[in-house]
Amino acid sequence: MNAAISAAEDLADVSRVLAGDVAAFEGIVRRWQGPLVNMAWRYSRDRGRAEELAQEAFLRAWRGLGQWRRESSFSTWLFALAANVFRSELRRFPTVTVPLEEAPEPSGPPTQHRTLSKELNRGAVRRAVLALPRRYREPVVLFYFHEMDLAAAARTMGLPEGTMKARLSRARALLRRRFPQLEAEHAEMEFGALNPGKEA
Amino acid sequence: MNRTKNGSDEMELSRIDGILASEEPLMPSSGFLESVMERVREEAAAPPPIPFPWKRAIPAVLLTAGIFGWAAFELVRLGLPAAGSLAAAGSASLAMPHFSAAAMQPLEPAGWVALALGTSLLSWLLARRLAGRSGLL
Repeated sequence: MNAAISAAEDLADVSRVLAGDVAAFEGIVRRWQGPLVNMAWRYSRDRGRAEELAQEAFLRAWRGLGQWRRESSFSTWLFALAANVFRSELRRFPTVTVPLEEAPEPSGPPTQHRTLSKELNRGAVRRAVLALPRRYREPVVLFYFHEMDLAAAARTMGLPEGTMKARLSRARALLRRRFPQLEAEHAEMEFGALNPGKEA
Repeated sequence: MNRTKNGSDEMELSRIDGILASEEPLMPSSGFLESVMERVREEAAAPPPIPFPWKRAIPAVLLTAGIFGWAAFELVRLGLPAAGSLAAAGSASLAMPHFSAAAMQPLEPAGWVALALGTSLLSWLLARRLAGRSGLL
């Protein structure tokens, strides 16, 4: 995702914007709208809200473009800024979530509607992330948004990697406890793959 | 067994990880780019915010600080002898401390009220004049 986006193009566009060319910001929005909307979606699980949040992040980036020091990559700066915007906006107007204990349990072993059941399970797990306590929620959101790149997620949050890792482990433990059934299925699948012919 | 990036070996991939990692990307709506640029252009066209008039405000801030400082000083000056006399009398009464006799003269409060009214009037006139100069009134 990020590798494909040219850092040189970002640098050139930022320089043009800072020189007074408003239209050059369009290139930045064009390149980063996908990642930012997806990031906001993972924070809010609401499509309309995700676009509002991403728009707000772009506006803050526009206002604060001069503050990018070029010591880190443009993407690092933009993601960190967006994370701050999403965090503060969602604190002001939170999305409707339920406590983790009340998050719906995934359905039982799939029978007739295997695909539907899979989708429901996935939806339940993703919604449960938003029900995690705040300090664990964001590490999970950013870790998977950054395709499980712990260092990138830590940079976006402005936390040391060790702290990020600890919070992530705790969050994953909470999710596993909430969805023991999924873990059991996973263990069975792994056992089956490692020992063909034996029953778990 | 799958493992995460960056050598975080302890983090083995579970089913939950699989679900959270394999999410279909969301495409921004067709009007998103235009709507962001519209707001950016609006911001760019808007006049810069009016800076706070520190030059004009500093005398007023100093005057206010001076008045409050003087009031605090007077309170302490008048209150301390009263507290001292209470302690000396060994009184445990919860009555208001008696300020010095000078402060209890009937004409004295009228003078204070007049001073307060005069200060308010002056600050109102000053504020009006400053605001008028900047075209707000």
